Amino acid sequence: MNTGARDMSARDPSLQEQGPPRQLYLPDFCRARTVLAIVIICELTALVLALARNQAALGFWSDLARTSMFLLWISLFGAGMLCVLRGYLTRQSLPKGSAIVLLLSAVLVAIISSLAYWIGSRAGLADEAGILPEDLWTFLLRNVVIALVVTALALRYFYVTHEWRHNVELQAKARVHALQARIRPHFLFNSMNTIAALTRSNPARAEEAVQDLADLFRANLNEKRNQIPLAEEIDVARTYQRIEQLRLGDRLRVEWKVDSLPQDALVPGLMVQPLLENAIYHGIEPRADGGLVTVVGEFNKGMITIVVRNPLPAANLTMRDGNRLALANIKERLDLMYGERSMVKSGRFDDEYIVTLRFPFQPTNGGPKA
Amino acid sequence: MSLRVLVVDDEPPARDRLRSMLQETEGFEVAGEAENGQRALELCDSLQPDIVLLDVRMPGIDGLEVARHLATQAEPPAVIFITAFDEYALKAFESEAIAYLLKPIRAEKLRAALGKAGRLTRPQLQQVASSARESPRRSHIGVRGRDGLKLIPVEEVLCFHADQKYTTVKHQKGEDLIEDSLKTLEEEFAASFVRIHRNALINTKYLERIARDASGQHFVHLRGLPEALEVSRRMAGDLKDRFRI
Repeated sequence: MNTGARDMSARDPSLQEQGPPRQLYLPDFCRARTVLAIVIICELTALVLALARNQAALGFWSDLARTSMFLLWISLFGAGMLCVLRGYLTRQSLPKGSAIVLLLSAVLVAIISSLAYWIGSRAGLADEAGILPEDLWTFLLRNVVIALVVTALALRYFYVTHEWRHNVELQAKARVHALQARIRPHFLFNSMNTIAALTRSNPARAEEAVQDLADLFRANLNEKRNQIPLAEEIDVARTYQRIEQLRLGDRLRVEWKVDSLPQDALVPGLMVQPLLENAIYHGIEPRADGGLVTVVGEFNKGMITIVVRNPLPAANLTMRDGNRLALANIKERLDLMYGERSMVKSGRFDDEYIVTLRFPFQPTNGGPKA
Repeated sequence: MSLRVLVVDDEPPARDRLRSMLQETEGFEVAGEAENGQRALELCDSLQPDIVLLDVRMPGIDGLEVARHLATQAEPPAVIFITAFDEYALKAFESEAIAYLLKPIRAEKLRAALGKAGRLTRPQLQQVASSARESPRRSHIGVRGRDGLKLIPVEEVLCFHADQKYTTVKHQKGEDLIEDSLKTLEEEFAASFVRIHRNALINTKYLERIARDASGQHFVHLRGLPEALEVSRRMAGDLKDRFRI
């Protein structure tokens, strides 16, 4: 059923995937602070090496000077190179960018090692025992392997800290947005009015409506249950639908096709309900004769797809203020939970507005993923 | 004799509640109920109620637009707006001293509002419409004829044409005289209409082509309009720039 939504992305340019692409991350090597950090790291490394080696022939200070000069040449040249190439490198995908950086560092180390060896032998240092290594090729090979290992570790470190910072930011944003994405005051007051009307005409229904409203608010206030089973989320959305149904009557029709979805799938709370709310607010309420909202779920190859569609108001009517906030919020929370494997798409298609969510299936009792 | 009240709200439970509250209020009776703006204007014409209880937010012609059409009547009914939560409309009601009620409506507030409901003036309503975000412009042009109010959807309007005293609206089903001035129409519908001459405002949606005769005079041809419209020298450049012709 939802394949329609997939086809559309090719036909409608406004349907775009919303999500940051995963790219290589590098700190800015042009900044003085970064250069200072590099110099300090080099000196500390040289100190550790000199202390550990205990060169009898050369003496501690000469060994330290030699090692630190060698390391500084390599690291400052490397920093200069990354400073120049940063713009290009950060546009590359993570594997490609990392491979390029590794290759560059190997080449750089090989060149500087050869130069060092050549200058050393020209200056006649080869005669003095221990200052120059005996064989150029073993010297080169050793240095290149060290360079590769150190560079790989550094890249991993940059990636992890960047991811961590990114996540912290996302979490903070999601929290703020969760507060803003709460139920519209308009909905609350209209519902109260409906309930006030029902207390006279149909007390039993009024009672149900009060209970539904309470459930809905409980779900909205519960920030701790950030991750809930899908069945629970669909329940909240249906509760919301029942309240709106009282108010809008025949104008609101909702078709649910979600039986094929795994009911225990772990989802961020308030993922489907705000989409239904948007569909009703933007699509049904402004239309005199209402319309049909469809919620269709599909479960395929471990991926869950949920598509919400609503008709758009007649073209001549001014669109109500868009609420992209709810969509952005859902996108962030799905991203936080499932990373790049989740996806949120939305857009107009002919006279419909369609939102598509896709995320991997993970059972509720499986615990959160690392 | 009791005053006759028209209840206008798109939500059935809201109408039910107002009806039952009015039935309990002495001195007032329910003249009728309307579920949208269009129907409300029709019933105002046929039932001639004394007071209209008008929901601000409705699909199609909303409450503010209904009130603006009502204000063109010779003897308009008094209007009390009803809203659940419209920050901008509320601010405008406050500043223009217009009667309004908040949902859920309290019986005593309803009685108080009914007791002092007054007629609204057009400047008041224009003020409200421009500050209430939901409907900055009308969706229909109202024409008052012998057989009551006729509503012309703005998207069916080809152009407005001004003579000395009247403004003619030419639309897909003919033409009618209206009281609005070209200047206010131009301001209200700036998004879709453009001035081509001191006396003409055209709907850009219907713009077919711009022609020029031997003397250098420009004319605009609109889809669905047999005659060409004169373009003033001053506007011709603007028009060409805007449509890259």
